[in-house]
Amino acid sequence: MFEDGLKKFTDIFAAHINNRTLPGKNECCLEADPLYIREICTYINRDMGHQLISMFASDERKLAAGKYVIYYAFADRAEGRLLTVKTLHGEENMTFHSICSTVHAAALYEREIQDMFGLVPLDHPDPRRLVFHSNWPEGRFPLRKDFDGKSKPEKAKVEMQFKKVEGYGVYEIPVGPVHAGIIEPGHFRFSVAGEPIINLEAQLYFVHKGIEKMCEGETVEKCLFVSERISGDETIANSLAFCQAIEKMAGIEAPARARYTRVVFAELERLTSHLGDLTGICQDTAYGFAAYQFNMLRGWSYNVADELCGMRFLRNVNKPGGVRKEFISGSETRVLELLGRIRAEIKDTVDIINANSLFIDRVENTGVLSTEAAQDLNIVGPAGRASGVRHDTRKTFPYAAYGELDFMVPEHNNGDVNCRMNVKIEECLESIDLICKAINSMPEGRLFETLPDIKPYSHAFGMTEAPRGENVHWVMMGEAGRIFRYKIRTPSFCDWPAVCLAVRGNIVPDFPLINKSFNLSYAGNDL
Amino acid sequence: MFKTVEKLIKYPRLTQEYPKKALDPSLFVGRPEVDQDKCSGCGVCMGHCPSGAIKSDTGSAKITIDYDKCIFCALCEELCPANAVGMTHDFELARKDRKSLNSRAFTVNEDSIPAISEDELETRLKKRVSKLFGRSLQIREVDAGSCNGCDYEINALSNPFNDIERLGIHFVASPRHADMLLVTGPVSRNMEEALIKTYNAAPDPKLVVAAGACACSGGIFKDCYAAGKGIDSVVPVDVYIPGCPPRPQAILYGILKALDKV
Repeated sequence: MFEDGLKKFTDIFAAHINNRTLPGKNECCLEADPLYIREICTYINRDMGHQLISMFASDERKLAAGKYVIYYAFADRAEGRLLTVKTLHGEENMTFHSICSTVHAAALYEREIQDMFGLVPLDHPDPRRLVFHSNWPEGRFPLRKDFDGKSKPEKAKVEMQFKKVEGYGVYEIPVGPVHAGIIEPGHFRFSVAGEPIINLEAQLYFVHKGIEKMCEGETVEKCLFVSERISGDETIANSLAFCQAIEKMAGIEAPARARYTRVVFAELERLTSHLGDLTGICQDTAYGFAAYQFNMLRGWSYNVADELCGMRFLRNVNKPGGVRKEFISGSETRVLELLGRIRAEIKDTVDIINANSLFIDRVENTGVLSTEAAQDLNIVGPAGRASGVRHDTRKTFPYAAYGELDFMVPEHNNGDVNCRMNVKIEECLESIDLICKAINSMPEGRLFETLPDIKPYSHAFGMTEAPRGENVHWVMMGEAGRIFRYKIRTPSFCDWPAVCLAVRGNIVPDFPLINKSFNLSYAGNDL
Repeated sequence: MFKTVEKLIKYPRLTQEYPKKALDPSLFVGRPEVDQDKCSGCGVCMGHCPSGAIKSDTGSAKITIDYDKCIFCALCEELCPANAVGMTHDFELARKDRKSLNSRAFTVNEDSIPAISEDELETRLKKRVSKLFGRSLQIREVDAGSCNGCDYEINALSNPFNDIERLGIHFVASPRHADMLLVTGPVSRNMEEALIKTYNAAPDPKLVVAAGACACSGGIFKDCYAAGKGIDSVVPVDVYIPGCPPRPQAILYGILKALDKV
């Protein structure tokens, strides 16, 4: 139990923790001694079974803390609780102890903190630049408050290195950043011997724009529109996470009709995204007929989007406090009819592809991600669920109207492309059912609550289940209704390392297929 | 096999005949428009516009909207106390000249717009060029830092509803094979070199089309430290397509505009 486990934890580490607060019903926040952070986090992760869901720093030198603060957010998924540990770091000692030798999921977060703040993780096994490429000058840290967000630093030429695999017959294949298809940019360095891939290293952050810095000092209203555009097809998931964080700080809850409307749009987004993934998987196995069938269905779900809000990517829907206007009323019959057609066609098309042995041969046992790796690295979303990680934010941390609606979360264990595809197919069908349930039981009432003023320097998490997985946003308000710090952690950030693991041992031509089976967002990772 | 044939018979043809036949845009969220008779010049919309697309002429105090910056969020429509701003259903917004996307005579900030004369624009899109590309156009798409919304819509051009190949337009894998570069994104810092190299690799004559608010002007990201103010600061642009993201048909309209076909 949280309380018992927490009591044991606070007893063991009593000398090294203090300032315990309970910001919410299922949340606990405490401050820890930076010298013992490794032991503390290892205990929370290993002994208490909490997952590290986000880790970030904040420049609070001008606030009460007077220093840089590093936040470690852990989630007890079994009980639906959050435990946040924070450590303070003064300017005189810009280092912190790396925890990633035991909490493996922390590795990339620590490199990001290093790049953005200049806080160096000690004993990190891979302390290379993550966010910035060779053109970024040394010694410039954008998320420090004294960095002018509108400035564009001069170009530099810093050496970048990739991991080298030595051996007879081993060579490197560099791919990207501009890829052959219409896809986001990223650089992949394959080390291969013949066809099988020995190692894959991905260099991302080509799409890095600096969204988190830009939001600092901006109004809640503008940041809402920015959150919609973090990743083009995760509009609802990101804007909803932002809105939920704001609503939590403001102490309000969106009215029932708004919460049900949010479910309709969130599930529509999930349906569209998964149909696109299925299109991609079929396309990369050269199964043109099925690819175009799924493409047709995706086009139909865009028609549902047009019917509801006139924007194919569901923009202009959410706002803190509820939704912007009435979307559902008057369109129910048409939408339910369209969804019924989509559902029938999905079932038909899935029967066709499952009967095709050539296709099944390609997708079975390709790109296997082990359960152990998935749990270790906090792999979220369909990729995690296909590898035996039983977690869906809609069930563990219910939001919008999910707590009131009945739905199933698919579970598969083999971790291959076939499992990921099956998880997505089942989620498509569940999404359609959820939308129908939400529309049929849509309560009457107001569409939004007015947002009161938010106390400066309050902060909260907003968590949603994006089509790609668990999406965690953290917002700290500043003065006069402006944002002080906005930490965005989309599911793609967690899942990219999984792609690099899943391709090992597979042949190079299977890489596009494995990549598409994850279908991660580069923009969601890079920000 | 039978099921496959069954589907082929059930859905023989999904392709819409745009641009030959007009679409029914009644559900689309198109460009915002200011009704000058109702507008009182209060400036509320201007203060709230997330991408700074709303301008006021100092002389006449008229409010106008720059479509190269507009992200189509409809906040102006929501906030206007006089109900003077409404979202229309217009989606065919692509223009060759970026200035013509801005408020008619009231452009305030000219320094970020490249100074290209009308003559030069004409020379670039000579009849010879559209004759060369008119029947078969190879497009290389480049994502220079976008959120991927525009890229999804460009992808949707290849779906059964739009089927861009029926117009002789084809997406290619290599810039070496390309006649046109279709670029999205505000040019993030890390993509600048890649975009320039791709542009240089495409052989002449070539066209460049900027798709989406970010590519036209930097969109909502123009003040980020690692984002640019649109692709025309890096490569010369022939057609600008506003939208956030622009519909597939709006992108198609822009591509055909570059070929002088619409």
